[in-house]
Amino acid sequence: MTLKQRRRWQLTAVFIALAIASAFVIVPVLWMFSTSIKTIEEMFSLPLKWIPDTVSWDAYKRIWTDYPFGQYIFNSLFVVSGATIISLLVSCLAGYGASRFRFLGRTAFLTFLLITQMFPSIMLLIPYFKLMKTLGLINTYGGLILAYVSFTIPLASWLMLGYFESIPKELDAAASIDGASRFRIFWQIIMPLALPGAAATAIYAFIVGWNEYIFALVLASDVKMKTVPVGIGELIGQYRIAWNDMMAVALVVSIPLIAIFLYLQKYLVSSLTAGAVKG
Amino acid sequence: MVSQPEELKSKVSSRTYIDKTQMAGLWFALPAALALLVVVAYPLLYGFYISLFETNLLNRWDFVWFKNYARIFTSADFLGTIFTTLKFTTGTVAGQFFIGLTLALLLNTKVPGRAFFRTILIVPWLFPEVVVALLWKWMFNPLYGLFNDVLLKLGVIAEPTSWLGSTETALPSVILVAIWKGYPLVMLLMLAGLQAIPQEQYESAEIDGASWWQSLWFVTLPNLRNVIMISLILNTVWWFKHFAIIWVLTQGGPITATSVISIDIYKTAFESFRFGPAAALAVVVFFIVFLISIGYQKLLGERQ
Repeated sequence: MTLKQRRRWQLTAVFIALAIASAFVIVPVLWMFSTSIKTIEEMFSLPLKWIPDTVSWDAYKRIWTDYPFGQYIFNSLFVVSGATIISLLVSCLAGYGASRFRFLGRTAFLTFLLITQMFPSIMLLIPYFKLMKTLGLINTYGGLILAYVSFTIPLASWLMLGYFESIPKELDAAASIDGASRFRIFWQIIMPLALPGAAATAIYAFIVGWNEYIFALVLASDVKMKTVPVGIGELIGQYRIAWNDMMAVALVVSIPLIAIFLYLQKYLVSSLTAGAVKG
Repeated sequence: MVSQPEELKSKVSSRTYIDKTQMAGLWFALPAALALLVVVAYPLLYGFYISLFETNLLNRWDFVWFKNYARIFTSADFLGTIFTTLKFTTGTVAGQFFIGLTLALLLNTKVPGRAFFRTILIVPWLFPEVVVALLWKWMFNPLYGLFNDVLLKLGVIAEPTSWLGSTETALPSVILVAIWKGYPLVMLLMLAGLQAIPQEQYESAEIDGASWWQSLWFVTLPNLRNVIMISLILNTVWWFKHFAIIWVLTQGGPITATSVISIDIYKTAFESFRFGPAAALAVVVFFIVFLISIGYQKLLGERQ
């Protein structure tokens, strides 16, 4: 076997391995879709069929009529957008500050950001529950936003710090010689260059917020305040499990974010991995 | 030599720029720092405070010193829970690591369609945890689940199995779902690490007659050390305290087969309303996670 032939065999083997791995992703997701277009009768009939005899899109209508998912989606959008905007604002400032200055307490600040990754969210959940009850923040958007920024601010700050590090510091020095104030340098010179990083950070913060489960489970039990993951999670506890409805709603709330992410993936992935590769 | 003073001046001014303004950074970091003090530091301390009480958070606040902690370390249940958590974490992190690294190596070749494969393989990571759990709960359905159907057709099992319903298979099944959800992040990190390795190192290894395995061991893995460390630490920390997937899949059952520490804390606090012991458990988890990450750093740091 020549070298060229061997290379070709190797690539074929790699291709087959990747195709098998992809099947483990594609098959469950397609099964989700297949279930969502089945009627109750066909969903619970054997042998299993990929394409149902009667294709029914009713589940996609029932999401909006039989369940309060319209409300849940609004709640999630409101809370997660609020948390994302707040964390983006403070993390741009903090990321810029930590990347440009060696101020007293900088190490402590960065260490604290890391430590926030280590404690279980449950550790915050119990004090939150008590504090928010006292302050009347249970079942309010404000309470949920407060809880969500506890994990989106550290994440966003790390990502923004990584992005600011990649912008040459000579730019600051040059502007400072021209007499610009520190804040103007940040706002008018560096921030416009950091906008792509800020966009990526906002998307990440939004995704983790959108997917959050346990805070919302405890802090927003009122039907008017529930978020999407909590709404989905509780479907499983119901007496009659309507898998077709569940799969329909699961797809509806997941696909938009997945599409946005995949569309921008090149760019989002590099901003996530930059810190890890540099070490 | 007219330019010399000019040069000197600009050097001096950029020096003072650095020195004089260091504290300005504090102002930039202040909003984030204050926000984290309010939403993280204060509640954490308050959580520790709660852990010193026997309380329902309403009318009963009995100060019991460290009795909640003493009870944790002397109870057999706690050891069982920690053991289950360790099994879950080890299985999940190891599985994600091997699958993530393997797929990254496969994607880092000139295989046709690699952009397509990469896109597909990221997808599980993007689904919300609750959705992943729901999907697999349906896949694992004993009667109408696709999982049993495929295994029956392949002849792996002889009759439908209730994967989540038996104490023996529940934990491995939950681990499988966690691996499915989380391997893409490891894959992306490893892939970025692989792409940063200078090609010359492989070329010189090839000239020295290194086999594929040898260049993996002597070139690839040493270069990935940082990425491997970061992904192992983050993953261990994340999955050690994981809640959502297990809660939706099994609620910790059957019996206590999948009752990891987060589930135990949740049930103690919000089902039994014993907030003191639950808060104490949470503090203990924090220290375990802290020790684990220090241990990793020591372990992987010494290799160099």
